[in-house]
Amino acid sequence: MTIDADRLANRLEGALGSAVQRDPATLRAHAVDGLVPHIRCAPEDTSQLSAALRICGESGAAVIPWGGGTAMHWGNPPTHADVVVSLERLNRLVEHDDANLTATVQAGMSVAPLQDLLAARRQFLAIDPPDPRHSTIGGTVAANINGPRRLAYGGVRDLVIGMKMVLASGEPIKAGGKVVKNVAGYDMCKLFVGSLGTLGIITEVTFKMAPLPETFGTIVARGSLAQAAHLIDALFASALTPAAVTVVGGDVATAAGLEAAEASLAIWAEGFEEAVARHVRDIQTMAGQLGLATEMLDGVAHHRVWETVRDFGADGASPAVFRVSVPLAAVTGVLAVALGVTAGRPLRYVAHAGTGTVWLALDDPGLVAAWFPRLVALAQEYHGHAVLVAAPPAVKQTVDVWGPPPQALALMQELKRQFDPRGVLNPGRFVARI
Amino acid sequence: MNRDSLVRELRQIVGDEYVLVEKEDVIVYEQDGSIMQVLPEVVVLPGSTEQVAGVVRAARRANVPIVPRGSGTGLAGGAVPAEGGVVISLARMNRVLECDLRNRIAVVEPGVINLDVTKAVAAGGFFFAPDPSSQAACSIGGNIANNSGGPHTLAYGVTTNHVIEIEVVLDDGRVVWLGGRAPDPPGYDLCGAFVGSEGTLGIVTKAVLRLMRSRESVRTLLAIFDRMDAATQTVVDITGAGIVPAALEMMDRLTIEAVETGAPVGYPRDADAVLLVELEGVRESTERGARVVQEICVRRGARGVRVAQDDAERLRLWKGRKGAFGALGALAPNYYVQDGVVPRSRLPEIMRQIADISARYHLRIANVFHAGDGNLHPNILFDIRIPGELDKVIAAGEEILRACVAAGGSITGEHGIGLEKKAYIGMLFSDVDLDAMAKVRKVFDPDGRFNPAKMFPTPITCAEMRRAPAKIPAGLWI
Repeated sequence: MTIDADRLANRLEGALGSAVQRDPATLRAHAVDGLVPHIRCAPEDTSQLSAALRICGESGAAVIPWGGGTAMHWGNPPTHADVVVSLERLNRLVEHDDANLTATVQAGMSVAPLQDLLAARRQFLAIDPPDPRHSTIGGTVAANINGPRRLAYGGVRDLVIGMKMVLASGEPIKAGGKVVKNVAGYDMCKLFVGSLGTLGIITEVTFKMAPLPETFGTIVARGSLAQAAHLIDALFASALTPAAVTVVGGDVATAAGLEAAEASLAIWAEGFEEAVARHVRDIQTMAGQLGLATEMLDGVAHHRVWETVRDFGADGASPAVFRVSVPLAAVTGVLAVALGVTAGRPLRYVAHAGTGTVWLALDDPGLVAAWFPRLVALAQEYHGHAVLVAAPPAVKQTVDVWGPPPQALALMQELKRQFDPRGVLNPGRFVARI
Repeated sequence: MNRDSLVRELRQIVGDEYVLVEKEDVIVYEQDGSIMQVLPEVVVLPGSTEQVAGVVRAARRANVPIVPRGSGTGLAGGAVPAEGGVVISLARMNRVLECDLRNRIAVVEPGVINLDVTKAVAAGGFFFAPDPSSQAACSIGGNIANNSGGPHTLAYGVTTNHVIEIEVVLDDGRVVWLGGRAPDPPGYDLCGAFVGSEGTLGIVTKAVLRLMRSRESVRTLLAIFDRMDAATQTVVDITGAGIVPAALEMMDRLTIEAVETGAPVGYPRDADAVLLVELEGVRESTERGARVVQEICVRRGARGVRVAQDDAERLRLWKGRKGAFGALGALAPNYYVQDGVVPRSRLPEIMRQIADISARYHLRIANVFHAGDGNLHPNILFDIRIPGELDKVIAAGEEILRACVAAGGSITGEHGIGLEKKAYIGMLFSDVDLDAMAKVRKVFDPDGRFNPAKMFPTPITCAEMRRAPAKIPAGLWI
């Protein structure tokens, strides 16, 4: 649909005042896969957001919800991108009920300043999105961004217990609450986690918190990929409870400040001092028996490893990034096959052995056409799936980045129709170009 | 409906012996663990996904409601056929199909009993974390429908955190898989929305469950308090100290009296509250955690703290808690259990409010509950033979739920809305919030055929509903 951008901007200005921008530089900075929007607006509260969505809906204007702009490479290229709706002004910590281990946060708040406030009361949000200075709460939840410590703390879907959102119609709704156990009504939060802004715009999220650990450290074991696989098996057969278990390869190890090796296995332990010491002791013994060299990292060295892992694939440094998700035991097998397929070409990877998530990055986007179907087929052998997370727009136009449509696609399409009948929210970006 | 032709068709699908129509056969399906009863018209026991799909298609052609049923241990009337139709019992579909310990998953049919999952994988060093107190009887299908909790879900999460993929039969008999064995399957998290939908979206015929590695060490403590306030403040302090126990359970004075009258375990009858704390993890973590918990209990004025030295003593400490529900029978002929939740930080004040409601209604209320996650179980004691008593009990229960909502909580933490609390869901959600849920219902079940008249505040239109004391099998606890 062609929209009358002047008329739309006037109506939005009427409702939002000065929070409507049209200068070309700003708009170019908000392009999605090369598509430059006509208008950017930043509502100051839920009622302005409702008004903006109502106006866009009436005009049939495509709306692109925007948090910190750190995950805009996710998804298929949008079919339209008329109005970018920024959540930057909804940026407050609404409540930190530390005795209840919960916090309620507005969607536009960035993760790093939130963690600073939570840390003042010895708690943290156990989600580690890339670039936390810019990643927002709403974006992290909408894109379902999970980090390495998902193994110990659960994923976004497990940590979100309540939510407020505004639907495409402009109607504000809420779901869940601020109690950790709650079975009243359907669990609507689940539908919005990972929905990439296609069902509504999240305005506020309530999370379970975790206590800050007394201490932490990382054991790094270096060796062949096969040796790393044996150590992972030994670790998961033990009673140890690491926070993260991650294999890195290619030049990722160097970026993380580690010595080069075919594979480096980083194991994050945190908790009481004596429990962390026990993890270090036992893991070093296991690694030694399997012939891997180990070192113990803390402080800055620990942070450098996990920041490198956290930001992998999201820093714009790699022209093509894939995420292959498989059941746990398949992780090192998938890596071995992927390394075989590349046949010597540079392949960087970060693989979370405790959660079944393998991130692969390629320097040559021209290889996507050949590679993506092979990764999809490889993942499917293990009941898993592969997603093309980032690639140049021209490459993304040639595939569905989410892979083959899910079996329940008809239900998903109907859900989208129920919540966004005009198809104005992030049109085309989600699975099967919903 | 033409009942005879439907019954004929159902018999062809599942076999004569698995279609029940005689009153003496269907009467056992008229009630669950709640106080509501409706006599089913037809009960069917399919033995496979294909048979479930066939039954659903037949019921659709006959235009009658479908009510799925697991073991019937639900406490909110979710399995009661409020609008008549066909009750589908999943009890025969009770096989554990696959245990894949390397990938930490088990694939089961919906009629598998919760405890049998852990039994199947315990030798390999794993367990299924959700442990509703009825776990010796309740089914996985029922757990999924209700998003069941349990005492050990404090550290590990409830059912929705442990179900990763489900095979479901939809309203037109289609069979689809939702979710996935690998994390983050592309698309909307329909598996997550289905868990806790109380049988209103379809019927689960297979489930892929996440297993957890058994913990190396378990430490169990029991603390006795002279004042309820001190006990609830201890719960707040434990959480505030950064300790996340596996379980954190509480019993009040009346419950202690019931236990000591019905099945004594040696609690002092003059104590105001008993707190049971369990820590799990590596040895080093549980030892320090137990020390910290003990210090907090003492600082808050606990009269005594017992730390279990071995498994036998651990079971003894739990015995009173597990026997509490059954022991309430020693105090009154009937009891009505509520399931409100409050933020943990509001526990002290909600317990004072419940005491106040108890006094105003002249009803004794025994509290035995999951204090660690703020999930209350006030048991209102009464005698159903006294005219008007049950109505008074229900009014007091409603007032407790209003107090929970006012404190920022919820009307149900693990039992579900069902029939029992459907009139109360408006305390939590606006019409627009409920309309969004109705959109989800429309996606899965546009005709509203699955478990009608549950969860949402629509009136019951046809069947005859009676109220009677709950029939809870012996040995179960909440």
